[in-house]
Amino acid sequence: MSNNTNIKGPEREEVIGVWNDEISLRVNIAGDGPALLYFHPAGGLYWDEFLDALAESYTVYAPELPGTTPGDPYAIHKVKDYTDLILMYEELIQKLNLKGSVAIGQSMGGMIAFDLASFYPDIFSHLIGLAPCGLWRDDAPVAIADLYVAAPETVPSFLFDDPSLPAAQAMLSLPEDPANIPKHVAQAVWNLGCAGKFMWPFPDHGLGGRLHRIAIPTLVLWGRNDNLVPSIYAEDFGANISGSEVHLYENCGHILQIEKLDDALSDVKRFIA
Amino acid sequence: MKVLAFQQAPYRHMPADFAEKYNSVVNTPYFELVDNQLMHEDHVHFIDEMLHAARCGFDGIGLTEHGQSSYDVLPNPNLQLAALAYATQSEGLDTALACLGRSLGKTKEPLRVAEEYAVLDQISGGRLIAGYPISLSFDSNINQGIPPIQTRDRFAENIMLIDKAHKEKEPFAWNGKYNKHPHVNLWPRPVQPSLPVWSPAVGNPHTLGGILDRDQVFLYFSWFGPKLTGRIFDRYWEMAEERGRDTNPYRLAFLQCVAVGETDEEAHREYGPHVKAAFNTGLGCIPQSNLGVPGYMDINGVEAVTRDPGDFGIFPKMRTAAYEEIVDAQACIVGGVDTVAEQLIELIKSHRIGNLLLMTQHGSMPTELTKKNISLVAEKVMPKLRQAWSEAGFDAQGWEHNWWPTGLTN
Repeated sequence: MSNNTNIKGPEREEVIGVWNDEISLRVNIAGDGPALLYFHPAGGLYWDEFLDALAESYTVYAPELPGTTPGDPYAIHKVKDYTDLILMYEELIQKLNLKGSVAIGQSMGGMIAFDLASFYPDIFSHLIGLAPCGLWRDDAPVAIADLYVAAPETVPSFLFDDPSLPAAQAMLSLPEDPANIPKHVAQAVWNLGCAGKFMWPFPDHGLGGRLHRIAIPTLVLWGRNDNLVPSIYAEDFGANISGSEVHLYENCGHILQIEKLDDALSDVKRFIA
Repeated sequence: MKVLAFQQAPYRHMPADFAEKYNSVVNTPYFELVDNQLMHEDHVHFIDEMLHAARCGFDGIGLTEHGQSSYDVLPNPNLQLAALAYATQSEGLDTALACLGRSLGKTKEPLRVAEEYAVLDQISGGRLIAGYPISLSFDSNINQGIPPIQTRDRFAENIMLIDKAHKEKEPFAWNGKYNKHPHVNLWPRPVQPSLPVWSPAVGNPHTLGGILDRDQVFLYFSWFGPKLTGRIFDRYWEMAEERGRDTNPYRLAFLQCVAVGETDEEAHREYGPHVKAAFNTGLGCIPQSNLGVPGYMDINGVEAVTRDPGDFGIFPKMRTAAYEEIVDAQACIVGGVDTVAEQLIELIKSHRIGNLLLMTQHGSMPTELTKKNISLVAEKVMPKLRQAWSEAGFDAQGWEHNWWPTGLTN
């Protein structure tokens, strides 16, 4: 969630039971119009200005990774592996009647969205990756493991080319009341822990071999100076998904929808219009 | 009470400017720092010193496992224990061998661990104490690639598999989450019908609960300064009572760094620089973030240690701690015989410690000085400890040591 008071945030939420009702997936929702699914990165769902702006034209559905919903941390232990996770999200999409909607995934969420599209080629109408994970090349190691063991003060440089941007600072800010900091920190660390079940040590579950199955309009956006998932991977997504579009933003790091908000919004809206 | 000699095996020849040039002992570059002749000597000296401790009359010797670290070059301590098992056996020494141990949240081959323990128990004629630590985060998650959130779950399965593999009379199949074996029928099995289990832990209530529920010994490594972390033992004994366990002091094993001289002045002069180096550039150079990769610690645990990091004692500033701070926190007890004995006796009495492990080699300490330390502990400190133990009345309360090796005869 957001600490930035300028952000409107989700308007409502739905909790959907999946996996024989063993797991409750919380979905944050805002806006009107055609459905758009957003899959969040490893840090958990952070509702930002990008999602606010999309909610002006679309109904944004943002499910939370099992275990990252406050108050339900051990749901992650019920997800046996990555394949089951993908099946759970597919079940969620069915139950919300969202088949055929637009899908956007950021980082880990990109890997999930692209794998859903590779497993179920007609599940989405459009697919958009914001610096998606899922591939691996030895000449450009993905720095997820480095991020997980980084000293806290170095984390911003993994995520942003310019961590001093107000929106970047807002995303990484701690609660004003010191009494709330331990719970906030614990949730943030646990979110990474939950994501680590599918990201550690490498976010590579074989997506590279399945990209050829993706046959819907696909857009890949990347920050040129991404220190977490190097931008050279944009070329690999582009080369292996027929007809896909790739855009790189200069002077931009991993969380491109914050660092290059206007460009990202413009490109996304044009692509799905 | 039982007194064991414990050692890690650091590479003892780090340059004086190590702390300025290198920020970690868990990703230390090997070839630019290591002289093969010296690394070889360190390995031989390590076994020499442990054997010296056995000959001096320690009840047991203990060591542990760390992969890819320069502060403890023991990726599999059972290799050293095999040599020590044979050497002590051939000399007729009835010394317990404590592997503290193979890390079960780390290993992808728990049956290999079960086999190693069984072989060690056979060579030693039933003198093995089996350590079942979860493992440090950097070792299981970073070195071994285990997803942090699976570390404890893997530990739980591995400990069950090892126990069953040691005891089950008929061959069995194991279709676990992490281990799949169509046929488990180990040869050999341990001499002891049930290996005594000591589990190292840092005081996490969740882990302590598991140790008590499995009726094992809680082993605490007091590197963080027992003056600062003593509350962990209050917590442990309270939890034991809550779970209906008795207050048998042998349920608790406590490791303490010591450096003993003939006088206080001699001890500080001879051991001081090595002790300071050991903490500043050894344990103090494990980055905190490497000890808790996200997911390794439960969400409630993260919240608790964020709210109150007291369980970590002096650790957050160990890298830059002055020698006086290290000694004041009792991270290492340094002094003459009486000084060390008095401080140890106080710890034993106040925390109900039935098993005391004394760490006798620190950082750059050379082998002759290490042997001197071991000798002084054995000859002059241990008798005082045993005297104090009997005066404390723990024996008089009739406590049996249910977690000590039984040997061949039982």
